[in-house]
Amino acid sequence: MHAVDSPATAPPAPIAPSTPDKPTARVRRRRRPQWTPLFLALPTLVLLAGLLAYPLGRMLVLSFQDMQLRHLFSGATPPWVGFDNFTQVLTDGVFWGVVRRTAIFTVVSVAISIVLGLGVALLMQRVSNGVRVAMVIAMMFVWAIPQLVSAQIFKWMVDADFGVLNYAIDQIPGVDFTNHSWFADPTQGWIVITTLVVWAGIPFLAITLHAGLTQVPQDLREAALVDGASPWQTLRTIILPILRPLIVIVTTLSVIWNFGLFTQVWVVRDSKPEQEYQTLATYAFTQAFGRNEYSLGSAISVITVILMLGVMAFYVRQMFQIGDVD
Amino acid sequence: MSTPRSQRSRAGTVAANTVGVLFVIVMAFPVYWVLNTAFKPASEVLSFTPSFFPQHPTLDNFKSAIKAPFFLVDLRNGLIITTTAVAGAIVVGFLAALAIARFRFYGRRALIMVILGVQLVPLLALLIPLYLMLNRANLTNSLVGVSITYLVLILPYTVWTLRGFIAAVPRELDEAALVDGCGRWQTFYRIILPLTGPGLVATSIYGFIQAWNEFIIINTLNNPETQNLMAWLLQNQTNRGTAWGPLMAGALITSLPVVVFFLIIQRNIATGLTAGAVKG
Repeated sequence: MHAVDSPATAPPAPIAPSTPDKPTARVRRRRRPQWTPLFLALPTLVLLAGLLAYPLGRMLVLSFQDMQLRHLFSGATPPWVGFDNFTQVLTDGVFWGVVRRTAIFTVVSVAISIVLGLGVALLMQRVSNGVRVAMVIAMMFVWAIPQLVSAQIFKWMVDADFGVLNYAIDQIPGVDFTNHSWFADPTQGWIVITTLVVWAGIPFLAITLHAGLTQVPQDLREAALVDGASPWQTLRTIILPILRPLIVIVTTLSVIWNFGLFTQVWVVRDSKPEQEYQTLATYAFTQAFGRNEYSLGSAISVITVILMLGVMAFYVRQMFQIGDVD
Repeated sequence: MSTPRSQRSRAGTVAANTVGVLFVIVMAFPVYWVLNTAFKPASEVLSFTPSFFPQHPTLDNFKSAIKAPFFLVDLRNGLIITTTAVAGAIVVGFLAALAIARFRFYGRRALIMVILGVQLVPLLALLIPLYLMLNRANLTNSLVGVSITYLVLILPYTVWTLRGFIAAVPRELDEAALVDGCGRWQTFYRIILPLTGPGLVATSIYGFIQAWNEFIIINTLNNPETQNLMAWLLQNQTNRGTAWGPLMAGALITSLPVVVFFLIIQRNIATGLTAGAVKG
């Protein structure tokens, strides 16, 4: 479809010499005044510029200043400090600990989510219809629950005194989990957080990948079966290559989302995450709003965006390559 | 020869079904646990041996959630903010979507890139300057500031999704209408608008969910009197510590509209995020 109606080569120049070999429809379209689309897009552009682009620019500026609480009240321009904020952040061992933690969490949680999501998608193809419907319904509910609420549910389930998890583990003979705090040891706390994030993320992944799987031609699979391919070989040589673009997209999205982890940590740690639970997002927030170090927080945010820029560019490029955009 | 295979696959189906049922139980358990907690009296909630069904089901938790300070105010605020944001985003976004879907113009590709890209900018990165800006403009602790912020927040997704719905309306219909003597406005009004109706509904609902669920911005910008229910939930957790019964009841009330809406439009959500990645 887009092959027909996208004059992808060159955007029509304002004084385009009419080329007679083009179809009539094209010529008519070309004669439309080109300010119409810009006029239509103008409100969106203004809003995006005012409340997204400007704040982003402001953040960049702020990261080179030293903004304190008194500047907030007086409205005076904070002093310029050059790269001081960045030097301070980048030479701080705590910051690098946060970066490392965020990166490890992202890799681990995305890997588990994708593998499980793909597993569930494959399982959905294998089970009876009734079971599949039950799976979809369960996942829809999980998907629909707001992040904040699901984090609160998990916090309640792992509650040290009255949580159902400790109770269940306690039932195992010889194990005493009474009053066991899951957040005293950061490793255990992160296991809870990762479980929560994976649990909440599986529905999107499994349902999307399942939709992709239904596009794998049945005759290809049958041919593989006739040729004596094992299920594993079929998966590796037929299904995965066909699913690849979809897997790339959902992985990219998962990386972006999980790298920005905030809500789950914020909720399970009662809005005051300890050092061991800080991620880049919570760290920037704590610096800015907990300690009124707006400039330091901005510098951390700038670094976060720079770290993510590659992944974001990859996503946008991928969306273009898939071709739906044009 | 076919017997062993079909037997094997029957055994395989039984195994798969078992795993499938286990999966359903694991996924659904937290959901069931909220319901279970919300209908329990306080004595059963704070029990060292949790019961798997409320022994004495009660609505007390819901009553105390609703009576809690700011619940009704924040409910009203949430409705006002989300409605404003969604209505604004739909009107503004539809125009831009129309431009992208129906016109080829200089800067179109750049516009698409911006719209796809800004969806990925971490919200937290914008929070600091946003706070400073709105604070300067005296728009903190007001419904206006967050309404505009949410509008912009859901705008990129709105434009992107509506673009898909408009592009799905065959161009031939526009052209036929133009040939039949309809003006540009009439073509839009009689052809494109009715045919994208379902898309407008789906997109609005998704915007509603986004705006309804947001709490970081509103919790930072506004005081409890001008917050929404999500922020109310967060504050109630930290203020009351272990009042889990009312909190879970409040969480249920807060999630209900979102869950219902989500179930209505679930088909459209995944496609918006991965548009075109599944080739038919």
